[in-house]
Amino acid sequence: MLKAMVKRALNKDDDKLLIAKTLQRLDQKDASKSRANLADDEALEWLKPRVLIKPDDQDFVPEAELDEEVGRILTTINPQWVPVEVAYHYGQGKFIMKPKPAFGKAYPLYVYQGTAIRKDSDEAKAQIAAGYGMVGFDDAGPKRAKVKKAAAEEEEEEEPEAEPPPVEEAKPEADTTLEEGPAEEEVPEAAEPPPEPDVQDEQEVANEEVQEPEPEPEEKPETVEEEVIVVKPRVRKLANQFNFCERAALTYNFPRRSVETQTVPPPRANFGSTALQCIIFDFYQEDYARKMREKEEEKPKRLRKKKEKHAKSAQQIHDEHLAQRIREAWAILERLVNQNIYDDIAQDYRYWDDPSDEFREGMGSLLPLWRFQFEPMRSHAVCDMQWNPHYQDLFAVAYGSLDFTKQQKEGCVCLYSIKNPAYPEYAVITESPIICIDVYTETPYLICVGCYDGNVCVYNAQLSLESSYQYKSDSVRDKHSNIVWEVRWGARLIDGEASFFSVSGDGRVVQWAVMPGELRATTIIELRAPAAPVPGPDGTLIAVNSCGSCICFHPEKADIFLVGTEDGAIHTCSLKYNRSYVRSCQAHHMPVYRINYNYFNNSIYASCSGDWRVKIWEDGREEPLFMFELGSPVGDVKWAPYSSTVFAACTADGKVYVFDLNVNKYRPICVQAVVSKKTKKLTRLDFNPKLPVIVCGDTKGTCHVLKLSPNLRVMVKPPKKALSTDQRTLQIMKLDKLLTLVRDPPFTPGVVDEKFEDD
Amino acid sequence: MAEEGAAAATAEKIIHTYPLVRHSDMSEEMRTEAVELSVTACEKFSQNNELAARMVKESMDKKFGPAFHVVVGESYGFEITYECTTICYIYFGGNQAICIWKCS
Repeated sequence: MLKAMVKRALNKDDDKLLIAKTLQRLDQKDASKSRANLADDEALEWLKPRVLIKPDDQDFVPEAELDEEVGRILTTINPQWVPVEVAYHYGQGKFIMKPKPAFGKAYPLYVYQGTAIRKDSDEAKAQIAAGYGMVGFDDAGPKRAKVKKAAAEEEEEEEPEAEPPPVEEAKPEADTTLEEGPAEEEVPEAAEPPPEPDVQDEQEVANEEVQEPEPEPEEKPETVEEEVIVVKPRVRKLANQFNFCERAALTYNFPRRSVETQTVPPPRANFGSTALQCIIFDFYQEDYARKMREKEEEKPKRLRKKKEKHAKSAQQIHDEHLAQRIREAWAILERLVNQNIYDDIAQDYRYWDDPSDEFREGMGSLLPLWRFQFEPMRSHAVCDMQWNPHYQDLFAVAYGSLDFTKQQKEGCVCLYSIKNPAYPEYAVITESPIICIDVYTETPYLICVGCYDGNVCVYNAQLSLESSYQYKSDSVRDKHSNIVWEVRWGARLIDGEASFFSVSGDGRVVQWAVMPGELRATTIIELRAPAAPVPGPDGTLIAVNSCGSCICFHPEKADIFLVGTEDGAIHTCSLKYNRSYVRSCQAHHMPVYRINYNYFNNSIYASCSGDWRVKIWEDGREEPLFMFELGSPVGDVKWAPYSSTVFAACTADGKVYVFDLNVNKYRPICVQAVVSKKTKKLTRLDFNPKLPVIVCGDTKGTCHVLKLSPNLRVMVKPPKKALSTDQRTLQIMKLDKLLTLVRDPPFTPGVVDEKFEDD
Repeated sequence: MAEEGAAAATAEKIIHTYPLVRHSDMSEEMRTEAVELSVTACEKFSQNNELAARMVKESMDKKFGPAFHVVVGESYGFEITYECTTICYIYFGGNQAICIWKCS
C-alpha cells in the first residue's frame, strides 16, 4: 500500500534514484509482509474448498484490474472536511470565504511541552552551532570511524530514515505548532488527499496557501546532513533523531550451583540390661552398704582408725572388747577405792543434815564435801562449770585463766563425777584457755566451749579421750576477735540443726549453727556503746562496740535474751532485731558477770557485777526489786532450782552467799567462806538440778562441792485448805506474794508481756 | 558417765525409697532432671507405670528435645540403641526400674 502511495506521490519527482531505492526497500518490506500473510492463510487452509457464488448480473471486471491493489490510507485527515468553505454574507449581499478555523478539526485536549527537539529544527541547529546540547557517544575510536563512514555514505544511510516522513511528519508538525504556522501546515495536508494526482501544478503555484508535505522532508534531511558534514565534521553522531540517548548495562550473572554437606550422625551406643526384683534389691543393698561405709569415713580420723582396727580381725575385736571390759572393771574398782577413801564424805553427803539448823532460826550452813582437782590444771582458774542436765552426778568444768597478765597457754575441759573425786571422767587439754562452757540439754554429751582466743568449739564426750573437738570455728573467717565470755545452747534451727550463741568482748553476739562438719556463724547483734563515735586516724568516725560479758536466754521465749556488758548495762535483745535493743538499762557500774532467770517466774532475773552488788530485776522495771552489796566482786549468781526465792552468789573474797528472800529480804541466810581469801577467789557456782548440793570453782583449779543445810532448802508447806497443791504452784505463789510486797509503785506485769508480744 | 549409746542396728527389712542411678552417661544436670522427674512421676502414678512413663517422656521431650523413650516396670529386660549421653537407668523405691533414653 505504501508502495503505491509513494509511487503516486513521487512520480512527479525528478530524483529517480531516490525513488528507485525507496521502492526497493518497500519491496523487501512487502515480501516479509506477504510471508506473514501466507502464514495466516495456512492457518485457514481448511476454508479453501469453499466455492464462491457470484450473482448473475455482476459486472465483469478484467483480471488485471482485480489484481490491482487499491490503496486505502487511514490518516488523521478528515476527508469530509471542506477546505474552502463559502457562505452568503447578507450584509454584503454576496458569497464570501468563511474564515479558517485555527486548529481545523483537531482539538488538543492536553498539550505537553517536551524537552526533546528535532535536530533539524532551528533551535537544534542553533544548539549544534553553539557546540553543546549534542549528547552522543564518547570519542572512542571505532565510534568515530563509524561516524565518518556514516558521513561518507550519507545517502544510503540517511535515505531510509527520511522515508517515513509523509506519515510521520504530520503528527510532530501538528503537535509542535510553535515554530511554524500551524494552520498553514494543517490545512494543506487535510486538503491534499482528494485532489492529489491532478493538483500537482496547483500546489506549486499556490505555495503560500497549500504546502506540500513531501518536498520539505526530502529537502530538510539533506540540508541537515550537509551541515553536519560541512560545518561540524567532528560532531558526534546522534543515537537517534533527538538529542537523547538511552544507555543500559548488563551485569554479570553468576551461575548458580548447589552445594551440600553431610554431618556425622550423632554417635549411638547399645545398652542392655535386665530389671528383676532380685537385681534391684541386690543393688540397693550394695549401695546401702557403701553409704554406711562413707558415713563412717566422715567421722574423725582417730575414731575411724579405731574402727579400722576393729575391722581387722576377729581376734582384735575380741581383744578390744576384753580391754574395754577390763577398763570398765578398773573404773568400777577405782570408784570403789575412792568411795572407801572418801566414805565419810559420802556418808555426810547422803545423810548428814546440820542439826544446829533447828536452833538457828532461818539461818543455814554449807557443808563442804569433795574437792575436785585435776593435777595439770592446778594453776588454772575454774572459769565456768555446769551440772550435766541428764546425769545428776556429772558436771563439766572449764579451765582457763582470769588473770590476764599471766595468761595460761592452754586450757582444759573436764567432766567430773562425784562418784570419783580423784580423777575426771573426761579431760581434754585445749590449745587455748577455756572461758565458758555449756552442755547441750538435748544431747548431754555435746559441750560447747568458748575460748580465750575467741574461738568456739563443740566437744563430743562420747568420742575417745584423745580425740579433740568435733567442731571448731574457723579462726580466719568467723571467730570472735576477743574473749568469748559466755556460750549458750539455743533452740534448733528451722532445718533441725543445733545452734548455740556466744557473746564476746568484741561486742558481737553470734549464733553458731552446727552443720555437718562445720560451724556456720551468724552475727545476731552488735552491741553499740552509748558513747559517741570516735574519730579515727584518717578522719572517719568509728563506732565503739561495748564489750558483751554475759548472755542469758529467756526460759520460755526463745528469741528473747539478755546481754550484760562490761560497762554495766543489761540489754534485752531479740533475735529478730539485729540493730536495736528491746530494752536497755544501766544496771551496774562495773562489768555484769552473770545474769540468771528465776526458774519459777520468767520475769524475774538476778544479775551480779564487779561493783560488789547482786540485783534482782523484774522485766520492764527500771529499778531493781532487791539489791544486795556483798563487799567484793560477785563472780556468779544463780537461782535455786528447788525454790523460787533462794539464790546463791559467790564472791572474789572466797565466800558463798545464800539468800532466801522469803526468810530475809535484806541479809543472806548463809555466808560461808569456802576458800582462803588471801590466795584464792571463787569464780562460779552452780546448783545441782536434783541433789541438794552446789559446786563452786576457785582460781586455783579446785571445784568445791557443798551440801546445803536443811534451812537453805526449806519447801513451802501447803496451806491446810488446799493440801493437794503441788510444790511448784506453791513456790510461784510464794514469790508472787513476796513481789507484791516490794513492788512500789503498783506495777502491772501486763505491760511487760505486751512489749514482748510486739516483738 | 555417758555410756556408749551404740544404736543397735535392727536386722529388720530396710525399705529403700531413694532413687538409685544404676547406669547413666547423661550430663550431671540432665541426670538430676531425669532422676527428679522419674521420682515425681513414680510417686504421682504409683499404681500406673504407663502414665508415669508417659509423664517422664513428655517432660523430657519438652526439656531436651524429642524422641525420648521411657520404660517403667518392675521386671523386664531390654536391649536398646541410644544416642550417646542420653541414657539413664534408675532404680526407684526399691522395686522399680526406670530406663530413659533418647533415639530419634
